[in-house]
Amino acid sequence: MFDLLFQFLANTGYYLADYRNYVMLVVGCTFLYLGTAKKYEPLLLVPIGFGMLVGNIPFFKGFGIGIYESNSVLHYLYFGVTTGVYPSIVFLGLGAMTDFSSLLAQPKLMLLGAAAQMGIYFTLLGALFFGFAPKEAASIAIIGGADGPTSIFLTAKLAPHLIGPIAIAAYSYMALIPVIQPPIMLLLTSKKERLIKMPPARAVSKKELLIFPVAGVLLTCFLAPTALPLLGMLFLGNFLKECGVVNRLANTAQSAIIDTATIFLGFTVGCSTQADVFLTPKSLGIFFLGAVAFSIATASGVIFAKIMNLFLKEKINPLLGAAGVSAVPGSAREVHLMGLKADPTNFLLMHGMACNSSGVIGSAICAGILWSFFV
Amino acid sequence: MFGFENITNQNGWAMAAVGASIVFMGLVALSFVISQIHKLLKLWDDRQKIIDRFKTKVPADADVTEAVDARVYEERHLPAVDELASIYQPLIDKLEEPFKLSQLFEIANKNDVPHPHLSIQRLQEAGLLVAQGDGTFTWNKQIED
Repeated sequence: MFDLLFQFLANTGYYLADYRNYVMLVVGCTFLYLGTAKKYEPLLLVPIGFGMLVGNIPFFKGFGIGIYESNSVLHYLYFGVTTGVYPSIVFLGLGAMTDFSSLLAQPKLMLLGAAAQMGIYFTLLGALFFGFAPKEAASIAIIGGADGPTSIFLTAKLAPHLIGPIAIAAYSYMALIPVIQPPIMLLLTSKKERLIKMPPARAVSKKELLIFPVAGVLLTCFLAPTALPLLGMLFLGNFLKECGVVNRLANTAQSAIIDTATIFLGFTVGCSTQADVFLTPKSLGIFFLGAVAFSIATASGVIFAKIMNLFLKEKINPLLGAAGVSAVPGSAREVHLMGLKADPTNFLLMHGMACNSSGVIGSAICAGILWSFFV
Repeated sequence: MFGFENITNQNGWAMAAVGASIVFMGLVALSFVISQIHKLLKLWDDRQKIIDRFKTKVPADADVTEAVDARVYEERHLPAVDELASIYQPLIDKLEEPFKLSQLFEIANKNDVPHPHLSIQRLQEAGLLVAQGDGTFTWNKQIED
């Protein structure tokens, strides 16, 4: 009887756990705390944080329990991550939720979305500098796009063994936008520049909104066909929303579908941070480079806005450059708040959303380009 | 392998330069296209007007038909339409209908009528001078009545 009891106890998580599991459990709890108490990107951090708890409960290997065991339930759910299915579905919902009218009203702001992608390429060089293999370097670099699904999608294609740390880094920095971006914006802009008011955007017709997803998918996917799974779905979702004849589909895409995909994506990515796989020196390097990527992306956008101002008659507020990263709507909100701090009557949210939307498109194109380099 | 040597060996410089250029050019192209969408739509909406403009031979003396702000009439102390009609009708009676605006302009000048361009313009806007589509005009007696 005691033998049976001891055998049972030897198979419990308490017995099998080592310090790395506890470290990851603490990280998971921190994510849950940030998501629930601080409300930092709760839709992402809550499922990821809980996934970290589930993924780091030690178990007896070989029973088909863990996410990396081929016959486990978690492994089947993780299939959506490793094949890039969940990111594509998230993009469908994102497209159905996004209003591109602010971007259509001010197409020049799209350039800020392009400039912010420079963080990706600087980080690519940085990752190669630190000795990462080219495919790993490309996967790390995409963190600079500040787009979780895009990061996961590209990493699943190029360096699937790094999905956990890269996804966690990408989502962590997205959640930490209020901490990372403001100091960079303050450092790179003067008070006078922050006071620049943007003119109200012109009204955009329904026809323009309808033509945009068609023109967008044709132009971007012809340029980078490898971005089709992301951009194809993004523009499909947007067309569903704008065409006005399939409201049921659009409503489902922007609610049930994206929510389901977000739950499974976040949860399984959290589960994939199993301590023995996740806590490696490489992960630390990825977190460091991810922070660098995100900071350079923010700085590139702001600096490019200042360069544009040298040539534009009607100046743009350089804070908007920081919204060129594709963290929707976090970075636009942060830009808006910075603008309000400088002048309580300066409302930059809609202009920031224009940059944000172009950032989403830009980072997906970057993912396609990087993937095509290794095809 | 680490450092710049690794970047060079892995073709990193080229990947970064080409990648950055492609994404930049792609988004510049997209921004250009979307900046033209509303202009193209306006052209499409006005297509009938544009087609008509090419179909109809524009009379040489139709220059005077450009829209004039009502304030201009006031500033030049131009008489009211009724008064203008009473001035111009005797002149038009001397012309054979249909007539060209250049003929009307000429006869108005000869009779020292002030601001003939603006006056003729105003008569046109009031519907008293009716274009026949071939560069000639007639006097609209119905409105006058």
